Formats: sequence, C-alpha cells, structure tokens
Amino acid sequence: MSINEILSILMFVTFIGLLFTGFPVAWVLGGLAIIFTAIAWGSDVLFGVPTGVDWAFTSGIVDRMWDIMKNWVLVSIPMFVFMGIMLDRSGVAEIMMTSFTKLFGRLRGGMAIVVAVIGVLLAASTGIVGASVTLLALLALPPMLKLGYSPSFASGTVAAVGTLGILIPPSIMLVIMADRLSLSAGDLFMGAMIPGLLLASLYIVYIVAHAYLDPKVAPAPKDVEPFTWGLVWEVLKAAMPAFLLILAVLGTIFFGIGTPTEASGIGALGAMGLAWHNKRLNFKVLKDASYQTSKTVCFIMAIFIGATAYSLVLRGMGGDDLIEKGLKALPFGPDGVVITVLFMVFILGFFLDWIEITLIILPLIAPVVEHFGFSLVWFCVIFAVVLQSSFLTPPVGFSLFYLKGVAPPEIKTKDIYWGIMPYNIMIFICTVMVYVWKDLALWLPSVAYR
Amino acid sequence: MTNTTHGADAPAPHPGGIEPHLDLDTLLHHTELPETGFSRAVDPIVRKLGEWSSLLWPLLVAIITINVVMRYAFGTGLIEFEELQWHIYAISFMFGLAWILQIDDHVRIDVLSEHFKFRNQCWIELGGILIALLPFIAVVVWFSVPFVYYSFTIHEISEAPGGLTHRWMMKAVLPLSFLLLGIATVARLTRVLKALFTKKPASAS
Repeated sequence: MSINEILSILMFVTFIGLLFTGFPVAWVLGGLAIIFTAIAWGSDVLFGVPTGVDWAFTSGIVDRMWDIMKNWVLVSIPMFVFMGIMLDRSGVAEIMMTSFTKLFGRLRGGMAIVVAVIGVLLAASTGIVGASVTLLALLALPPMLKLGYSPSFASGTVAAVGTLGILIPPSIMLVIMADRLSLSAGDLFMGAMIPGLLLASLYIVYIVAHAYLDPKVAPAPKDVEPFTWGLVWEVLKAAMPAFLLILAVLGTIFFGIGTPTEASGIGALGAMGLAWHNKRLNFKVLKDASYQTSKTVCFIMAIFIGATAYSLVLRGMGGDDLIEKGLKALPFGPDGVVITVLFMVFILGFFLDWIEITLIILPLIAPVVEHFGFSLVWFCVIFAVVLQSSFLTPPVGFSLFYLKGVAPPEIKTKDIYWGIMPYNIMIFICTVMVYVWKDLALWLPSVAYR
Repeated sequence: MTNTTHGADAPAPHPGGIEPHLDLDTLLHHTELPETGFSRAVDPIVRKLGEWSSLLWPLLVAIITINVVMRYAFGTGLIEFEELQWHIYAISFMFGLAWILQIDDHVRIDVLSEHFKFRNQCWIELGGILIALLPFIAVVVWFSVPFVYYSFTIHEISEAPGGLTHRWMMKAVLPLSFLLLGIATVARLTRVLKALFTKKPASAS
C-alpha cells in the first residue's frame, strides 16, 4: 500500500474513533484536516516521501470557506430553519390538531392518523426535523395515552411522522445534497415529493392495519361528537393556512416562479404572517426564533466548514480514488454496488447523523454511482429515504432523542425503540419501491417548471 | 437514551401555547465548567455579537421578500439586493460560530462520552481544543489574512455587473469571525484548565 492509501484510511478511521470522544463533530473534522496536513508535510520534509498534500494545498480551505459564504443557494438553509421555528410558534399545529381530532378521532387508530396527516402538512411546510417531532409529541402524546394507546405505538408514530420533515420538500438536507453534487435544489425537491408522500402513505397503511389487527394498541374513543358537516368545514378551515403556505413555497419552485432561496424567504414571511394572524407574533417571539435559528444554522454550518476542510485534505491524499477503486472492484455489478452503498449508509446511520453522512460520504460515492449510469437526482432521493432511518435508529437518532426529551415520563426508552421498528420496516419497503420504480423520483422533476 | 447533543431546532417554551414538559436545554449534557476571569471578560462580548448577528435573520426575510416583489413589480430584481442576501447570511452564521461554542451547542456524539467521568471529559476537551480546534482556527486565520489583503490591493468588486464593491470587507469577515472563535475557544480553554487544575473544597468533591 502506498503512503497515500495508508494516510487516507487512517484519516477515516481516526475520524470515526475521535467522534466517540464526544468532542464536537465540526472541530474533529477541521482538526483532522490540519493534523493530517502536518503528517503529510512531515512525511515529505523528513522522509522525502511526497503525498501531494502540503500547507499550500491546505490553504485552499480558505477559498472553500469563501465559497460557502458566498453561496446563494445555501441562504435558503437559515430561511427554512427560521420558517420552521416560526411555524412551530405560530400555533397552526395546535389548531389543526383540535379540529382534526374531532373529525377523525372517532376512528380506531384515528388519533395516530391525525398525527400522520398533520405531520405531512408540517413536513411540507418546513425543512427540519426537531421542531416537528417535539411539537407533535407535545400535542399528541398526552391525548393518545389518555385514550389508552400503547406507549410504543404512540411514540413510534410521532417519531417517524415528525422525521418526514427532512424528506418531504422543502428540506435543508436536499439543499445541502444539491449543493455538494452541483445539482438543482428544485429538482431534488420535486424528486423527493412522491417518495416522501409514498412513505407517509405507508405509515398510514401500517397505522390502520395495526389498529385493526390489534385493537387494544389504538382504541377508539367512547364519547364522540356526532358527525356534522360543520366538523368537516372546521377541518378545512384549520388546514387552510398550512395549505396556503405549502402552495406558496412549493408552488413557487414547482412552477418556476422563483428559486428555492426565494421560496424559503417567502415561506419565512408566510410563517411570520400565520403567527401574527394567530396573535402569537411579538418582539420576544421574533427574538427567540432568531436566536434559535442561529443556534441551529451555526451548528450545521460549523460541520459544513469542518467537513469541507476534511474532504479537501482527504481528496488531496487520494481518498476519493481509493473509495472509487474499492467500490468498482466489488464483484456485484452496478446494482450490487449501489445496494451495498445504500446498506452501508443505513449502517452508518446508527452512529452518524445525516449531516456528516451527506457532507462527507455522499460526495465520495456519488461519482461512482454516476459512473455506473444512475441518475444522481434519483440517487440523492433514495439516499434521503434511507437516511430517514438514521433519525430513527438507536443509539444515535435525532428524533428519538427529541421525543424522549419531551415525552411524558410513562414512555420508556424501550417503548420508543419498539415503537419505531415497524416504521423502519416501512422505510425499507419505500426504499425498495423507489429502487425498483425509479420514476417515483424522476417523473416529477421531468415535468416541473414547464 | 443516548443522543447527539442538541439537534436541529429545540423549541423553547411556546409563548401562549402549550408548555413543554421540560425545557430542552436542561436535557443537554452541557458540562459544568467554572468561570475564569478571562471567560467572564470575553464571554459577554461573544454572546452579544452572536445575538446581534442572529437578529439579521428577520432582515434577510425582508430583503428576499422585497427583491421578489420588485422583480414582479418592475420586471427586474436588484443585483445589489441579491448579493446583500448572501452577505447577511454569511455575516450572521460566521459570527454565530463563536457564540455557539460558548454556549456549547455544537453537535457532539456523546453515546460513550456521557458515561465518562467529568475529569476525563475535561481532559478530552483540553486535548481537542489544543490538538484540533486551535490549530484549525490558527490555519484558517493565517491563510485568510493574505486572502483578504490581496482582495484589498486589487480593489476587488463583485463579478456581477452592478454588484457590490469593497469585496475585501466581506472577505474580512472570515479572519475576524475566526479570531472571535479563537477568543471564545481560549476562554473555554481557561475554564477547562481551571476545572482540571484547581483544588476544589473537600465538600465539593
């Protein structure tokens, strides 16, 4: 093995190892870039073994950081985050919850279906996960438990449905994928639309099936208001603001009226408008939402910066060639390689977050996938579907952590783990479907903006 | 239950709405580090700068909206406004980095480390700051100063016709924000050192 191959492998191994020390991910990445530059430089100066990486090479970090700063597409990330946080504060979800429950709560498993439907509406109007999981948990878990829902069924539903926020567009994950692979964010948004709704439908199918096969996990309430058309009207009225917001944001992109960045700004304005309409908007809320936006955006951008530095040095060492050679040498043929890659991503999802996987792993494997003749838009979408499970698998799963944080104390960690299992199976089924019928991801982008 | 410390967007209590059962911030394993004279001196500055820069987000919403409206009203948006958007975004997140470090909100994988003894966590923090974080900051500052200076000497302006001038000022955000990050890091370093090397009263052990 050449020195470059050894250093590339070492760089990857130390990354995984140092992550578990608990030092911030962003700075582990940035630090490793510097440490390995020093090693490479030392190998050249002290032992006369050049590696192609030296300080002049690593100074390219500055240019890469500047590229991140002047990136107009990435401006949509803080805007989608701000929009999500604003929407969370606007009280729209509470209003939908009340009226939806009156209408659909009468069914067996009805509350779970309500959670799923509201989850989809929230997902289609925000691009982040944490807010929707906590919001749904706070709104829906206590009444579900009061109705006698099993804790694992209730908590699994909330975690899985809340996680749809990052798959169903708009989604900051898709923005980052588009940026890293030089794709159009609009294409990825359109591509993820049908698979996202498909996954949501699979969730609802599971909820209904489970509630009918095992009635005691999700009993129907005993005292229900009689059905009236007034209830239907109330539901429509409650869902209207969310619909309008979705129409404004996704419509802007779909019909080519504006870029995703512009849509994100309009969406943020719309969310503020809804908060104002529900009399929730004041200076304090605006200030809190801004602080919260900065906290979220800065930790993402810090990892962005760290990962950029890390990837630069890893590429300099020839790490990308190593991965490419390794993957092409696999004896499974193109489909086998892509399936292997997706499986590895699923496994990595147990330990890593979507941010690290998207920023470091995706750019390394995408060229190989493209080389085999697959569409990158399709690959990003299926990648995003697989990454849904990275939120829903212990030990490192964002959604599980959030849920545990706000769930009533009678919900045990074990309940959550059991509860999310069936949803992970649904994610698997969805992945297979998107794999087999690639048009699920490719059809909508091909007809949008026309 | 294990976690990555702090995720996408922990909501604070809902004003006028439902109160969360717990404030998410109390759930995060923020290590309790003692204050030092240096950290008391610089932390308020870092925090203020971070808070101020975060108030730019509503401004960004306004500018994007105005630009979209203008494009529909007058058929053309202003290049200046388009560039202003990423200027604001860059200033806001770059100056926020130090603040997030100070309040310890950067993502950590603490599946294992949350079970470590406090002292060992402090040693990891010390090692991480000295071996990874400070060298990274130093390299970025070191190489970004000539980057800004070059832009200044050639009077660099935006490539777009009608774009903003004085690009070096915008580029200067890079070393300045990383300098601030460095100061926040040193403040944290002094706190870690104090935690490790000052004798605590017997009762506190």
